[in-house]
Amino acid sequence: MSLVEIIFWFLSGLALISAIMVLLSKNPVHSVLWLIAVFFAISGHYILLNAQFLAIVNLIVYAGAIMVLFLFVIMLMNQNAETEPRSKSTWIKLAGAIAGGCLLIVVVAAVRDSENLIQNIGGKAYAKTAVTTHGEIGLIENLGRVLFTQYVVPFEISSVLFLSAMVGAVVIGKKD
Amino acid sequence: MPIHYYIILAATLFCIGVIGVLTRRNAIIVFMCVELMLNAVNLMLVAFSKLHYGTYLKNGAMGASGIDGQMFVFFIMVVAAAEVSVGLAIIVMMYRNVHSVDINFLNRLKN
Amino acid sequence: MLNALLLMKQELAVVAIIFILLILKLGKDRSNVTFLNIVNTLLLLNVVAGFFWNSEGVLFNEMFRTNPLMILEKNILSLGTLIISMQSYSWLKTHKHVPEFYILLLSTLLGMFFMISGGNLLMFYLGLELSTIPLAAVANFDLTKRQSSEAAMKLIISSAFSSGLLLFGMSMLYGTTGTLIFSQLPAALNGSDLQIFAFVLLMAGFAFKISVVPFHLWTADVYEGAPVAVTSYLSVISKGAVLFVFVSVLYTVFKPLAGAWYNMLFLLSLLTIIIGNLFALRQDNFKRFLAFSSIAQVGFILIGISGSSQLGSTSVIYFVLIYIFSNLAAFGVVILVSAITGKESISDYKGFYKTNPVLAWILTIALFSLAGVPPTAGFFGKFFLLMAGAAKANWMLITIAALNMVISFYYYLRVVKAIFMDKNEQPIERVAMPLMPRLALYVCIIGIIATGLVSYVYDYIHSLTAPF
Repeated sequence: MSLVEIIFWFLSGLALISAIMVLLSKNPVHSVLWLIAVFFAISGHYILLNAQFLAIVNLIVYAGAIMVLFLFVIMLMNQNAETEPRSKSTWIKLAGAIAGGCLLIVVVAAVRDSENLIQNIGGKAYAKTAVTTHGEIGLIENLGRVLFTQYVVPFEISSVLFLSAMVGAVVIGKKD
Repeated sequence: MPIHYYIILAATLFCIGVIGVLTRRNAIIVFMCVELMLNAVNLMLVAFSKLHYGTYLKNGAMGASGIDGQMFVFFIMVVAAAEVSVGLAIIVMMYRNVHSVDINFLNRLKN
Repeated sequence: MLNALLLMKQELAVVAIIFILLILKLGKDRSNVTFLNIVNTLLLLNVVAGFFWNSEGVLFNEMFRTNPLMILEKNILSLGTLIISMQSYSWLKTHKHVPEFYILLLSTLLGMFFMISGGNLLMFYLGLELSTIPLAAVANFDLTKRQSSEAAMKLIISSAFSSGLLLFGMSMLYGTTGTLIFSQLPAALNGSDLQIFAFVLLMAGFAFKISVVPFHLWTADVYEGAPVAVTSYLSVISKGAVLFVFVSVLYTVFKPLAGAWYNMLFLLSLLTIIIGNLFALRQDNFKRFLAFSSIAQVGFILIGISGSSQLGSTSVIYFVLIYIFSNLAAFGVVILVSAITGKESISDYKGFYKTNPVLAWILTIALFSLAGVPPTAGFFGKFFLLMAGAAKANWMLITIAALNMVISFYYYLRVVKAIFMDKNEQPIERVAMPLMPRLALYVCIIGIIATGLVSYVYDYIHSLTAPF
């Protein structure tokens, strides 16, 4: 087992366990903390894939900004294990778990045949593995150049999105 | 790493998110589970982007280099931030009116 | 340069209106009435300008493309927005946050424009999100009502969940094809398991947005809780925009998977029509009633789409145009009545004809058109949809759809009976119609009559759609 594989399995295990703990925690604050652990594990995966910019942005935006927002709201409402709404009946929980499990099984069945996944477009040889630890496309230099040339329209649209999200949040949140 | 490891990992995280949305009743937790789903998608997109980068390396400088997958992830993060800010504002508003964050999708509005 | 600007004229116009609104908001306080007049004038200009300087082209690395069909679709949406804005005049006149309402509403319109014009999965996704996130905020605009904020919460959670599904599908599509660009996707689709699965997830995301039956649970509650103007916007404009994109994506990008999606559409449309009708039968709240009837209408649209022919896309666009007129006429009456009397249930409408004959007639014509009674446009719309669906010679589907049209006659006519025949001790008092809502209702009625009888409309749409 190479070092990359060991790191991969470690990060995957961490992500899965933390994700399951998000579901199982009774206290919402614990859920938030476990979710932050998931984000750290996923950032680790990004670094493994040499997507350095996304790894940092994932930490800053998700773990840093979004999850802090969640924590603020939870603390504002004084949510804890006691105020947690009484859980649904076991049957509904079971049904939800079965539905999610079925979805997973379908994905696994579709992926299992990896020849289906890797196909030839125009006779080009296709790789079957994700390139880890090297490759320059994930560096901020290359992403920035593409963002401000090819992807400038989506960039502008997201500014309108933020404007409207801000207006909406202010109108809703204003107390009067 | 073989690409299907990443797909299966991302799909598992995604399904955990789906199960969370279906089974939890606290609106904030449901929102967090949606974030989990989005993160699974992000992980898969980055893995695919590096898969296509590998193809690009093999074939020389022709075709897409897989950078668009990583751009997509960037924009998903942007949208998620906007979505969360509006969604949490709505949840706070609801808490102010109802004093609960319980989503009961089927029978609350009827009373 | 000028050419590029002309290609994006509708988007630029909407952005300009948003900026004017922002500046007006930051300036000195204006009364709501002047503000509404300014906005409605601007929206009218936007609709009118949409019909000039049509051109065709691709911009920004296929991020943005436009052609006369897309311009027509956008014009239909701007016209619908103008009508809704005029109809909600009485509601907004006393509202505290009018500029914000319009900024949010117009940014959703901008999102729909980009969604229609997007030539790339990323642009499509961003447009979709831009057209739903602000709507959730707008659904909360009855700030003191608790139903309103619950509706907003249900809307944003279900839309976030559905866009999660959509993204999962998109990322699989990207993984198996290596491209995000619509024009390169069909060549790369080979129908492998993973691609079919990705397509199913995309379909689920779409189905959420147009509330097709297994994914419709949010619809009734959101429609009932949101302010009426927002409900009509949700059920007509945003649904129409997603339908336009749905048709074009299915017919161009996923053409290689046509065999797979025909079966899905078949099942979904049957479920949608039957369940939508069955639930519409027993509703008493007018908004809930219109919500379920609109679910049934989407089922008919899916039948038209399943035809997979040029007739299919033409009839869908034609039907959405008619649907905008007829549904907005019905909602326009409900908006007026609920803004002044606060009554929203069907039993309150008993004896409506005695007190408000004009509104009663408008509502009746709208309901006839929704049901598909011959002289109105709704009949022609449904006729073309079924004709497109019949091209596949799947007679079971057509028979069940026709039977369901009979059921829908029953529940639409039940409302008409309540309006004209039933006695009521306390009917809704006489509702005054200000100029703007009256104009909007007349436009709707003219639309209902004219789009059906003037065959030029259908021929014009048919000349723009691409052969399958």
